[in-house]
Amino acid sequence: MFTFFIPVLIVSCIATFLSISLVFAERFLAKYGEYTIDVNDGDKDVKVQSGVSLFGALAEEKIFVPSVCGGRGVCGYCRVKVFKGGGPLLPSETRLLTKSEIAEGMRLSCQVKVREDIRITIPQELLAVTEHVCRCVEIVELTGDIKLFRLELVEGDAFDHVAGQYVELLAPVYFSGGEEVYRSYSIASDPSEKGVLELIIRFVPGGICTTYCFEHLKVGGEVLLNGSYGEFRLSESEAPVVFIAGGSGMAPIRSMLYDMRNNQNRRKATYYFGANKVEELFMQDEMRRFEEELADFKFVPVVSLPGKNEDWDGEVGLVTEAVERGLLNASECEAYLCGSDGMIEACWKLLVEMGMGEDKIFFDSFE
Amino acid sequence: MKQSPEMEKLEAVLRSSKLVAGGFLGDDRRSVSEIVEDDRRRLAEAGSSCAELAGRMREITEAAKRQLGGCVKVSDQLEAWVEEAKGALVCPWSHSGGISKRTTTVRNVETGEIVTWSDLNIHLIEEHGFFEGKGSAMRLDPEELVKLIC
Repeated sequence: MFTFFIPVLIVSCIATFLSISLVFAERFLAKYGEYTIDVNDGDKDVKVQSGVSLFGALAEEKIFVPSVCGGRGVCGYCRVKVFKGGGPLLPSETRLLTKSEIAEGMRLSCQVKVREDIRITIPQELLAVTEHVCRCVEIVELTGDIKLFRLELVEGDAFDHVAGQYVELLAPVYFSGGEEVYRSYSIASDPSEKGVLELIIRFVPGGICTTYCFEHLKVGGEVLLNGSYGEFRLSESEAPVVFIAGGSGMAPIRSMLYDMRNNQNRRKATYYFGANKVEELFMQDEMRRFEEELADFKFVPVVSLPGKNEDWDGEVGLVTEAVERGLLNASECEAYLCGSDGMIEACWKLLVEMGMGEDKIFFDSFE
Repeated sequence: MKQSPEMEKLEAVLRSSKLVAGGFLGDDRRSVSEIVEDDRRRLAEAGSSCAELAGRMREITEAAKRQLGGCVKVSDQLEAWVEEAKGALVCPWSHSGGISKRTTTVRNVETGEIVTWSDLNIHLIEEHGFFEGKGSAMRLDPEELVKLIC
């Protein structure tokens, strides 16, 4: 009987010893306490408790570093430059960062634990980002899978954005096992409307945020968003403009057209908008109004596959084919593209072949 | 069957709605390993493999991509088109980088049969032999897919 208890006693003693050691190490050896994250050479100092992730700490302070995976070290989007502190680089980071990025101190903020004072640099625009509660006041079905959501600011200052920028919309937890996620959407509205935002969103099967917007968000419901982000915007040049978009890529271009109208911008502009079928075209009346309101604007809807029974006498074929037919002075123009990678790649190649300088082609990719 | 802690962690992610609405497993109560094994067996019975099937799916997606949203004929009976949205999806197995939010729809013009897959589906089949659980939004049936596109 006694011999049975000896091993049990030894194991218990070892376990107790290890537990006490852990408590001791945690109490006296681990780095706990408050540390400072110095953002952009003192532009912002963030005080945090030791052990939190840099990504989470910044988000707590309303500094929104872009991320697709919500801080799981999978997407690699939440890069920040760490000049001091941050601890050793983790394997989860090395597989997502290039050698040159590592050499210049780039880290994935979701993988960095704050265990000492840290000094970091992030794009300055992220510090200007503000968070807003908005109420959905209108939902307009534009096509079978694209809707316009009109959102009004419930509180806070007016929302400023430059035409072409995007916001990050928060999809709250709307079913068991879910998690809050942010997704990016280009702003479609008139930049002069300070209390209002319009988003044009295409439904993605299985998409967390689009499912929320299409199936759960109702008129009167509130959403949280932050922004604005992005460098996609009209240049100050006088060069003629060629806009090319498809589907929800309409959003930033529409905002730019409002901006041109508001500023009485007299640049010549042509907008090629591609759709697969006639029924996938939308906002045509509004585009025709821009033709009347802007000094020199032409809207060119292009349908690649008009149905046999559809009354369509506009451009037919790929949007690139319509551009090739219609654009005669590419070398003198600037192009603004918004759509899928495939569309942007094809347009880029075509425009360069037609003589447009690469530095004259601006785009807002879906990725 | 007892699963490793890594597999349990992965299954929790796949069952949750952390990466896609409704999760990758739908209402399928089988383990990830069982789903993968079962689908791999059915795929072999249908005369294909994950690499072969994913290769064919990618070929169709690439052909449809060149049409910028328009329809492309990929065989005498099949037409396909892609639809894209802003943003990226990530692999639940933690492969690096984002995968475009692109879906490819293939339609048999004679029978009207339609199948839609995402770029993430192609990756999951190619790298992990995973067709998703029954009841998930983007579940693909290996036999039906082989029958339609191979």
